[in-house]
Amino acid sequence: MEFQLSDEQSLLVSTLRRFIGIELHPLEDIVEQTGELAVEDAERILKNSRDLGFYAMNIPEQHGGGGLSTLDWMLVEEQFGYTTDILIRRAFGNVYEILLAGTPEQQERWLLPSVKGRRTFSIAFTEPEAGSDAASIRTTARREGDTWILSGQKCFISDAHFSDFFVVTAVTDQEAAHRGISTFIVDKGLEGFTIGPDQPMMGLRGTTHADLFFDDVKLGPETLLGPEGDGLKLALETLGRVRLAQIGARAIGKATRILDLTIEHARQRKQFGSPIGEFQMIQKMLADSAMEIKAARLALYATACSIDRGNEAREEISMVKVQASETLGRVVDRAVQIFGGSGYAKGLPIERYYRDARIYRIFDGTSEIHRTVIAKALLKGAPQLYDLVAQ
Amino acid sequence: MKVLVAVKRVIDFNVKIRVKSDSSGVETGNVKMSMNPFDEIAVEEGVRMREAGTASELIAVSLGPQACQETIRTGLAMGADRGILVETDADLEPLAVAKLLKAVVDKENPDLIILGKQAIDDDCNQTGQMLAALLGWPQGTFASNLAFADGKADVTREIDGGLETLSLSMPAVITTDLRLNEPRYASLPNIMKAKKKPIDVFSTDDLGVDVTPRLEILKVEEPQGRERGVILADAAELVEKLRTEAKVI
Ligand SMILES: Cc1cc2nc3c(=O)[nH]c(=O)nc-3n(C[C@H](O)[C@H](O)[C@H](O)COP(=O)(O)OP(=O)(O)OC[C@H]3O[C@@H](n4cnc5c(N)ncnc54)[C@H](O)[C@@H]3O)c2cc1C
Repeated sequence: MEFQLSDEQSLLVSTLRRFIGIELHPLEDIVEQTGELAVEDAERILKNSRDLGFYAMNIPEQHGGGGLSTLDWMLVEEQFGYTTDILIRRAFGNVYEILLAGTPEQQERWLLPSVKGRRTFSIAFTEPEAGSDAASIRTTARREGDTWILSGQKCFISDAHFSDFFVVTAVTDQEAAHRGISTFIVDKGLEGFTIGPDQPMMGLRGTTHADLFFDDVKLGPETLLGPEGDGLKLALETLGRVRLAQIGARAIGKATRILDLTIEHARQRKQFGSPIGEFQMIQKMLADSAMEIKAARLALYATACSIDRGNEAREEISMVKVQASETLGRVVDRAVQIFGGSGYAKGLPIERYYRDARIYRIFDGTSEIHRTVIAKALLKGAPQLYDLVAQ
Repeated sequence: MKVLVAVKRVIDFNVKIRVKSDSSGVETGNVKMSMNPFDEIAVEEGVRMREAGTASELIAVSLGPQACQETIRTGLAMGADRGILVETDADLEPLAVAKLLKAVVDKENPDLIILGKQAIDDDCNQTGQMLAALLGWPQGTFASNLAFADGKADVTREIDGGLETLSLSMPAVITTDLRLNEPRYASLPNIMKAKKKPIDVFSTDDLGVDVTPRLEILKVEEPQGRERGVILADAAELVEKLRTEAKVI
């Protein structure tokens, strides 16, 4: 077991840290104040990042991506955590691996332009009546000759206003329960497809979230992604690695950045004649945050290595998702406490990190749902999740 | 022309330096190390020359422990063609570094050597000058601009009171100042390619250079913390204090 970065990994993460610091950090406050990322800024960061091969690094090289291993991708995503959701999306891309399940024609039409940053897309599973219970969706796609007619509604869809197309789940067989759900690629602009107004959120300024309405939208046979009825299976198979990256790794990166600022504050801020970092109650908070970050990071890397060895690691991913997002929650909560009033004041960064952090325990499966996944596996018999000898 | 750049592995500029408890030096264990920022500028200049076709080959040289390979890889990822490591665990003083570099120059016969004007760890600002002297080559230190024409190097230097431009015959030694250029980010494909570029490793014995230190470090200490300032009531009180406490007037 070697807990050490290779020369290449170390150079990659320090280069990204520098790139993010110079190219992206200056935009964060502007986005926070204006609520959006200006088009010319978005284009510039996309170009600068693409020129360096930093766009869509998770996608295999044969499809034009960076071809990173899972572990390398996690190292990279951890650095992405150093900036905001919208800036990550525009600079580094959000190319879900679900499109790799497409036919060569589908890859040509939807995956390749996404890898190049010419088109972007969102995943649209959630509905007003179906959040955690993804199998209870009501959106339907019924066959009519060789086309599909899509109707229903999705909600909370990230980046909906910017995205060019959507990967949408719909019931194709009412009788078949969760085996009756299929996945479609739905282009923006199709007749009957409308997108609602932005739903402002607690945090994540700059990214829009909206409802999608499908009113008998006609879809060609080429829009069915993966086999009919395999929608949930496909989601299960292809979204795990993304979850590990976008929630696990990013949460750890965010927690790291926040702890850095917190330690600096504890050094600088003086009360009762000494830096507050000399008070034991502050020290406990700092030590706890560092320990939790380190533990979550080790769990992240171990899980990534397990995936690179060919394991699906479904429950391990759930474990990291919960551990990392809850670590972030505690670290940022302590940060507010240690910053005191200036941790709560708008316009100073900690308040924003606090709001931005909260969603990590909710989206991509709530903590409760992932704990359920873990516990069900344990009860069925999965000692390898906690017992070394059983691995 | 063939260009050689020297790259030093130093404690990363973001790290808060800590002095070892036995006062023998600064803590380097488990501390982030990076390429000396002035050397990054040297590599960048070399890579630009390579891209412009002025340079036909760019070699990154480092001297020190095996871990310096990482520093060389950084140079390779930025665009250097190959690397040379003179591997030694000895503490190298500027004169030893200059002698080792001269030995490398004797092997490689470059037309130009670019170094950082100083390293941010010991801030000596000596190696480039010593190397030029040992080689008997012209030197252009603190370069803020570099141009080549008619087999000469025009070096703009930042000096007290303004800019000075020297025309050097080649081969020559150049040291870089901050404003010479802004080093690029290594791209993902280049980081991956750097793995495959060759690094030749030599020992100090291979090069026949005696690196025994000529200086003895007696003690390394933290700088004294500054005393707290005080706010005075008026100019009269200031004059009084300057006279009686500071004893400067
Ligand atoms: C900012 C943001 C961005 C989003 N982006 C997207 C997107 O791009 N695409 C997309 O499809 N969706 C997206 N979502 C939706 C998100 O994935 C869901 O909000 C999330 O899955 C939770 O579903 P819900 O909101 O319906 O909560 P519910 O499922 O109603 O859950 C409410 C509460 O009940 C708990 N609960 C539910 N079932 C159980 C159970 N069996 N046992 C114990 N507790 C349970 C939950 O843990 C939670 O605490 C986004 C949401 C937000 C807020």
